[in-house]
Amino acid sequence: MTDTPDRLVRPLNRAARPPAPDSPAYPEPVLGNSAATLMDSGVGNCFPGLEFDLRQLDVRFFPGLVFAFPGVTPAGPDGTQGAQLVYADTTGDPDFDLPYDWVGELARSLGGPAGDALAEGQWYLHAVEQKDRRIELYDRVVLQNAIHLIPYEGEIAWWIIRLIERDPDPALADLVIELTRRDANGQPAGQPVRLRGKRRAYLDGEGMISQVYRPGELTASMCSPWTHDFRDCACQYWASNHPDVVLGEVIDPNDRGRAQAGQADPAEEDDPLQPVSFLDWMRRRTDPARDVQAQTTIDGARPYRYDPYEINLVWQELDFVLQGQEANATPAPDLPEPPDAPPTAQEVHADLRDNLGPLEYILALRYLYATFSIRAPEEIDAATEAAWPGLSDDLRAARQILLSVAISEMTHLRWVNQMLWSLSAALPAELPAYRPVVGPGLPAPDPDPEHALRLDRATPEVIAEFVALERPGGDIDTEYAELVAHLRDNPAYPPGLFQLAVRIDADGLAHYNKFRDIERILAPYAARPGIYLRDLAEAAADDPAAAPALALLREALAALREGARAEAAAARSNADRALAEARIIAARDRMHELWEAGEALARRGKGIPFFAPLPETAHG
Amino acid sequence: MADGAAPPVLIRGTPRSRQAHLSGDLLLMAESAALYALPGAQAAALRAAMERGEAAVTARLAALGLTAAAAPALSDDLADDLSDAAPGPVRALALTVAQGCNMACGYCYAAGGAFGGAVRQMPPEVARAAIDRLIEAAPPGGAVQIAFMGGEPWMAKGLIRDAVIHARRRAAARAVRTGFSMTTNATLLRAEDAAFLAEHRFAVTVSLDGDRAANDRLRPMAGGGGSFDRVAARLGPLLEQADRLRLSARVTVTPDNLDIPRTVAALSALGFDTIGVSPMLASPTGKGALGAADFPRLLEAMIAAGEDWLEAIIAGRPHGFANLATALGELHRGQPRSVSCGAVRDYLAVDAEGNYAACHRFVNDPLGAMGDLSGGPDAAARAAFLAERRVEAQPGCAGCWARRLCGGGCHHEVLHAGRPACDYVRGWLDYAISAYGRLMAARPDWFGDA
Repeated sequence: MTDTPDRLVRPLNRAARPPAPDSPAYPEPVLGNSAATLMDSGVGNCFPGLEFDLRQLDVRFFPGLVFAFPGVTPAGPDGTQGAQLVYADTTGDPDFDLPYDWVGELARSLGGPAGDALAEGQWYLHAVEQKDRRIELYDRVVLQNAIHLIPYEGEIAWWIIRLIERDPDPALADLVIELTRRDANGQPAGQPVRLRGKRRAYLDGEGMISQVYRPGELTASMCSPWTHDFRDCACQYWASNHPDVVLGEVIDPNDRGRAQAGQADPAEEDDPLQPVSFLDWMRRRTDPARDVQAQTTIDGARPYRYDPYEINLVWQELDFVLQGQEANATPAPDLPEPPDAPPTAQEVHADLRDNLGPLEYILALRYLYATFSIRAPEEIDAATEAAWPGLSDDLRAARQILLSVAISEMTHLRWVNQMLWSLSAALPAELPAYRPVVGPGLPAPDPDPEHALRLDRATPEVIAEFVALERPGGDIDTEYAELVAHLRDNPAYPPGLFQLAVRIDADGLAHYNKFRDIERILAPYAARPGIYLRDLAEAAADDPAAAPALALLREALAALREGARAEAAAARSNADRALAEARIIAARDRMHELWEAGEALARRGKGIPFFAPLPETAHG
Repeated sequence: MADGAAPPVLIRGTPRSRQAHLSGDLLLMAESAALYALPGAQAAALRAAMERGEAAVTARLAALGLTAAAAPALSDDLADDLSDAAPGPVRALALTVAQGCNMACGYCYAAGGAFGGAVRQMPPEVARAAIDRLIEAAPPGGAVQIAFMGGEPWMAKGLIRDAVIHARRRAAARAVRTGFSMTTNATLLRAEDAAFLAEHRFAVTVSLDGDRAANDRLRPMAGGGGSFDRVAARLGPLLEQADRLRLSARVTVTPDNLDIPRTVAALSALGFDTIGVSPMLASPTGKGALGAADFPRLLEAMIAAGEDWLEAIIAGRPHGFANLATALGELHRGQPRSVSCGAVRDYLAVDAEGNYAACHRFVNDPLGAMGDLSGGPDAAARAAFLAERRVEAQPGCAGCWARRLCGGGCHHEVLHAGRPACDYVRGWLDYAISAYGRLMAARPDWFGDA
């Protein structure tokens, strides 16, 4: 029926016309925008709208017309820049379904003489008129005594289009645009076409982008949105998926992926200090200063980083960033070996009780001992201070930082206990009743290095050991990361457990950075550690001088146990917390006294033997 | 008309061939709904062939390069296939929120709004359950339409608000777009209601039957007294929101208000820019329905209103008479129909008890029972209804050239009153085809894709 001889019958309605070849029928049309193009999907950006190229909205600023905004083409031809009409077509444009007079008028105009004119030759937006104002998209220059019109380039044409307002009254057609063709010199020529209409509303009442935009149209101009297309935006804006600073790659001796890939550098692997620092992701990889800490200001960072335009040339150098960390190597597929079987609640409980709890206790005291080993600022005499300017400040800082890490480990110990009593309360049938873990645990015949009951002065080697102990990807971090992952994947655990594990795990990075700071602070004295270290030796377990300090420790620990027990009971029964609070306060007071006693002993060259068997009874 | 003289109204559109129809020089292919313009001589030759019989028409069409697509064979197999095929999900739902009315129109299909039963309101949980089922069945990214019907729906104002909020929340969670509509007598509408309707972009259809004299005769309040002034006073807030809601008037045409051009003019003056009329063919009481003698007058009045519309549109002026605009749009689309509307296939109604009905007119009517909320729409009943009611299955329609345009007529009217108005329908479609040709010549841009 479609092969109708033209002269006999003229098809009129759609059923009589041959079907359009390029209109595939979809059984179930997909309506609306993908979530990625919703204005409010950009919550991570606090600058919504940069999920796509805003300019693409304005290619359809005028109903029925589609523009492009080409710039000057260096190789010519001249005069092709500006707002170029791509095509005029009212089909599929929902604005033409609106019941306003101006819509009909515009449709008739585009379906009639104006549309016929626009169908021939290349047309450009010549001028826009709104509210008695008119802007022509040309610069006027006098050239050889004649006024010459230089077309604005596409970017400026777009700025002007951005200025067009949209009156809230949908019936009011307050925008007139004029289109012209251009002669060979880029000068507007011939009869202009004037169209009256209204700036398009890009969003409907529900915040959906108008159906007039085709899939992909709004992102069509974004060749690499995660690199430099955002650089022209306000205030150094970066999309949330673009990192500013990253942690350098961890060189992990256990990283079999790296070793397999032949990328492991033995020199690097010996250096536990190398792994992590906040680096500028955009840093020039060829710059000698490439691995220094990221600068904190744009001006400071600028010389060391690639300019945005360079990114397209060197994009291969930019690392992939996984969870804030650069990843150069291709991880071996079996690298994060999943545990054969997920741990049971009993195993989690035992791990907290026998491994992680004692570990926090041991670390707290090791760090505390190291703090005592550093000289107090007031012990520095004037001559030494003159020879080492800034020494007393460095000591103050190093001691404070070390002490803060020790206190933080005590906090972790309390959190481990909280996890234990939550678990016991939640699974009373499967787990033993809660018993506080406040001590180094049972002596193991062959303890791993973290559980070694060693007390050392804060020599450069020991500080480096602390750094290695706390470094991301190290053993402690890995243990907590596994615990975090397990608790996250098993929501049946009591609420709060996961949060506690996350907090401990996150603190690991803080500890790591603090030890790196101590290392940096004490670096000038590394060759002569005697300048900052006390001449401290661990007192014998039965040294009477240490007995009062050990008694204080025992009392503090006893108060902690009682406090933890009371807190666990209060958490279960919601009973009065006063007892728990009183015991914790008592423990804290004993620890303050312990600090004073420890300092007094240390000045005398004696270190508290924290891991000595504690006297069973002090004053009876 | 192209041949110079309009045929007498009464025989306008009389069927001569089941394959094709000529309106002036415009040829409609009955089965495909395709429209062609013929040169005068070819039209005359085809007209002559129609007098000689179907074989001559087939030959004549073949000479024009047209072959009438064979109507699908009416085999039992096909009917079985159709009834076996599960209909797609329902996309539109009428909630009969209030089975009761504050008016007392004599012709009402709902017999005072209660559908012959007790006056009652839909419980909120029924509305919510019906909405949940509707939205659950919609594909993500799809769209659903919810119509609030009565009785007079505004008698259940709180329920409407609750249902709209509920629907929007549920739909948003599934990325389903919601559209809302309502048919109301507008007598209970307040300014804040208009704002609510506008906020949710309702399509509001106000029932009015003419100017004050005609309307008040046909549409008295339940306590007596006219409704026109009352409605006119309530319209202000709706008209103020006209940019945010689609407002139209719906006129029920009875023997007492046949002056359609006058009715359209009166309602335009009230502020409506879309006015649709529907002839009353079957009322439960028999009161107010049009009789055989009324149809020629009805057709005359419809054509007069159509001429007004055409003149205005060609001159570039707006005009409110929606029936011709709709008919021309449908003719232009040229989609051959199997049924006259989306009822049962895309659309169902739910009553206060949670029973599904074929459409809002079938509430409480066993002929249109389609399951209930506990089990969801009855797929078998829907499939059987559609297979039985499609125009291909209507022996009386097989010889009619207009069958694929009218789709066999309103299910409710056909089941309760038969097809008393086919001459009128053909006359109207014949007129619409000629109007299509005239508008296509004068204003091809009106169709949007010319």
